[in-house]
Amino acid sequence: MAATAKDLNIREFPVEENPKHHYLNAETGLKSWLFTVDHKRIGLMYLASIILFFFVGGVLALALRLELWEPARTFMDADTYNRVFTLHGAVMVFLFIIPSIPAALGNFFLPMMLGAKDVAFPKLNLLSFWIYSFGALFTLYSIAHGGVDTGWTFYTPYSTSTGTAVISMTLGVFIMGFSSILTGINFIVTVHKMRAPGQTWGKLPLFIWSLYATAIIQVLATPVLAITLLLLIMERTLGVGIFDPALGGDPVLYQHFFWFYSHPAVYIMIVPAFGIISEVISTFSKKTIFGYWLIALSSLAIAFIGFLVWGHHMFVSGQSELATVIFSFLTFFVGIPTGIKILNWVATMYKGSIDMKTPMIYALMFLFLFSIGGFTGIMLGALSVNVHLHDTYYVVAHFHYVMMGGTVFAFLAGIHYWWPKMTGKMYNEFWAKVASVVLFIGFNVTFLPQFIMGSQGMPRRYYSYIEQFQTLHQTSTVGSWVLGVGFIIVGIYLTISLFSKANKASSNPWGARALEWMSSSPPAHHNFNYTPVVLHNPYDFHKPISEFRLGIDGSGHGEETESKVELSSDKA
Amino acid sequence: MANTNTAHGESHVQHHFVDSEQQFDSSKLGMWIFLVTEVLFFGGLFVAYIVYRAWNPELFYMSAKELSTMMGAINTIVLIGSSLTIALAVRAAQLNQQANISKYLLVTIFLACVFLVIKYFEYTSKFAVGILPGELYTYEGIDHPGAAIFFSIYYMMTGLHGIHVIIGIGIMVWLLVKTRQGAYNSSYFTPIEITALYWHLVDLIWIFLFPLLYLIE
Amino acid sequence: MSEHNHHVIDLKYLLGAAGALVVLTVITVAAAYMDIPRPFDLITALTLAFGKATIVAAVFMGLIWDKKINTMALLFSILFFFIMIGITLLDTLFRDRPFWVWN
Repeated sequence: MAATAKDLNIREFPVEENPKHHYLNAETGLKSWLFTVDHKRIGLMYLASIILFFFVGGVLALALRLELWEPARTFMDADTYNRVFTLHGAVMVFLFIIPSIPAALGNFFLPMMLGAKDVAFPKLNLLSFWIYSFGALFTLYSIAHGGVDTGWTFYTPYSTSTGTAVISMTLGVFIMGFSSILTGINFIVTVHKMRAPGQTWGKLPLFIWSLYATAIIQVLATPVLAITLLLLIMERTLGVGIFDPALGGDPVLYQHFFWFYSHPAVYIMIVPAFGIISEVISTFSKKTIFGYWLIALSSLAIAFIGFLVWGHHMFVSGQSELATVIFSFLTFFVGIPTGIKILNWVATMYKGSIDMKTPMIYALMFLFLFSIGGFTGIMLGALSVNVHLHDTYYVVAHFHYVMMGGTVFAFLAGIHYWWPKMTGKMYNEFWAKVASVVLFIGFNVTFLPQFIMGSQGMPRRYYSYIEQFQTLHQTSTVGSWVLGVGFIIVGIYLTISLFSKANKASSNPWGARALEWMSSSPPAHHNFNYTPVVLHNPYDFHKPISEFRLGIDGSGHGEETESKVELSSDKA
Repeated sequence: MANTNTAHGESHVQHHFVDSEQQFDSSKLGMWIFLVTEVLFFGGLFVAYIVYRAWNPELFYMSAKELSTMMGAINTIVLIGSSLTIALAVRAAQLNQQANISKYLLVTIFLACVFLVIKYFEYTSKFAVGILPGELYTYEGIDHPGAAIFFSIYYMMTGLHGIHVIIGIGIMVWLLVKTRQGAYNSSYFTPIEITALYWHLVDLIWIFLFPLLYLIE
Repeated sequence: MSEHNHHVIDLKYLLGAAGALVVLTVITVAAAYMDIPRPFDLITALTLAFGKATIVAAVFMGLIWDKKINTMALLFSILFFFIMIGITLLDTLFRDRPFWVWN
């Protein structure tokens, strides 16, 4: 490397602070957004859509909690309640959390962290966003036509016989699956083929490793969801009978198919969150990440083991005892790579110079909440305990601790970590800290009582309940209001930061070392005006920052070619 | 990974790639990963097939007799032939033989259409006697209560495969038009190459469908 | 274009592969008409199918001469298909009682 470094004329490229020209003003007008192939803009469009659907799902959740204020009817009837919890689940899973981190933050930062100008297939990336929007339209259509009351899992035989809008809903999910697949293909190829010179696999930021593992799951699992939903649609339209016991079909096979996707999909939701936590904890501890390879490879291990354990959702479905025992046994193995990660994050903080900025606060909350979610997951994987807790609020609390306490808190950490890079603006640190504390309290008040209710036998998805649970239900409902207030505060100070003029962010406010921080804030249209060259691990905080801004002149293409190509891609 | 050659000024290289080679490799890997999703997409149906066959071996033996081995075998040969011709089309592109690219693409499209025509006659002869998927099934020639399930699986598998053939024909017609316009040559033939990969996978899936559906004696 | 050294597959390999596939298809059909006892009829048919699939992937799809990562992608898809069917069979083959109405 050293010999060729001289020949290539590697030098340091200083970062332009608060640049006049950046990706946000390179082109203007609505069309420049809707038909952009810039991964950063697509990432932001995804971010906006995701926040919109998080809001929709959140309002539905607040409605559910409010309905549970009284043991019987509070303000909606039981049929409406069934539809609202189904929609809450489907919107949160398929429209919010699956695309959340990979499609929004991943799209924005994966190419930048690799030192690339874009993802490998920018047009497919745009297509993926449009497919997602198209699928979302189907979902909205089915909401307008009375919604769905099957639960987000669409279990047969109920989903083939209910009168609600199952076909349009599942078609929407089917279509959104293609968007997920396209993102996965794009990320895998980009990581393989678009890394900057010198950026070996051992120098990839851990967020990239986690997105890579996620992309593998997306590519391997999503097609099975597609065929499952296709069979379900055929079942409803032609009555093919593959899941219909009256015709000799097997409804439990539907559950196998569904969970072959949906259990790995749980790792599509959480593994990218692990990546954010690795970045944030290392940056705010100013310390090399502990056990780089263990964290990187444990993401892949989780991706693999995630494919072996789907049947732990089906312990009481009537599947064979042999399968049940094996699934329970394999489930415990998921705890190993996850435990490795937690240990490494804590070890990274040990003797580090910890800086309690907002992203770090969220990361610490993640460690606490995700550990609770993870341990209760191990409990649920234990066969005898599961039979008691199956389909109770214990399960609801468990996956909310993992999905919301884990993924959403990591997503918040990521948004606060990268906000200055994405927008060039800094948010109000005081209000951000206040909001994080409000959210943390609200979250625990909402979901801790649900563990207790579940262990006492309160079934999930029930419209009415016996009076002994009323205090706990009401506590949980009050918690949901606190959560709502927390998110409103976040929305307000982030919006204010966008429009205020005084709070311009520097290019590297946290002193991080990964490549995305070596571009300006907001980044240039093509990320870097040079070809970055990577010499060090992105967590080498002991090395001077100037050594992370190295590159070579030119970016592998002549300016003439570039303008020509841009013209032609505008047309397309 | 990305090498640092300077620009070649080739018009087909998109701005974010360093050179044509990186772009070609990326497209090809992307296509292979797409084929992975196809394998698992069909994989779901194969799982349904295996599960039900393991449960009802007799049903599968009885039902497969209704399918025409001859038509299935001819279609197998037709698809193998089309795989050969599209591989020859790629070769013609690599060797810059413009006329041959068109010729081989045309033959491939023709063979794909032959496949669909034979499939059409198979389907209609089944429909005529009431062998329809699922609830619509009315045929009484198979003495087994689960006969409808076999044909549901048969129609799902061959139907999905047939849709892939139709999509393949559409892409190849488009390739043919572009080839006639001189879009492809020995330095740029990525679309032909990755379409060929897709087409070979369609062939591959049929190679498994044929013995599993037609040849259960 | 010196860097465009994509492997041009020799004509004899392509034609040979096609010939082998036709021969194997004939053998597959012939084997089906022979009275091979179960389950060896299925094993024969699947072995022949995998042989044919390997020829298509190796020669027509050019995996022999291609980058190893593409072969790995294909093998991974097959591995995960086997995981899906293998684990599902752990349930369906070992149930006390299937769900259909006619049993």
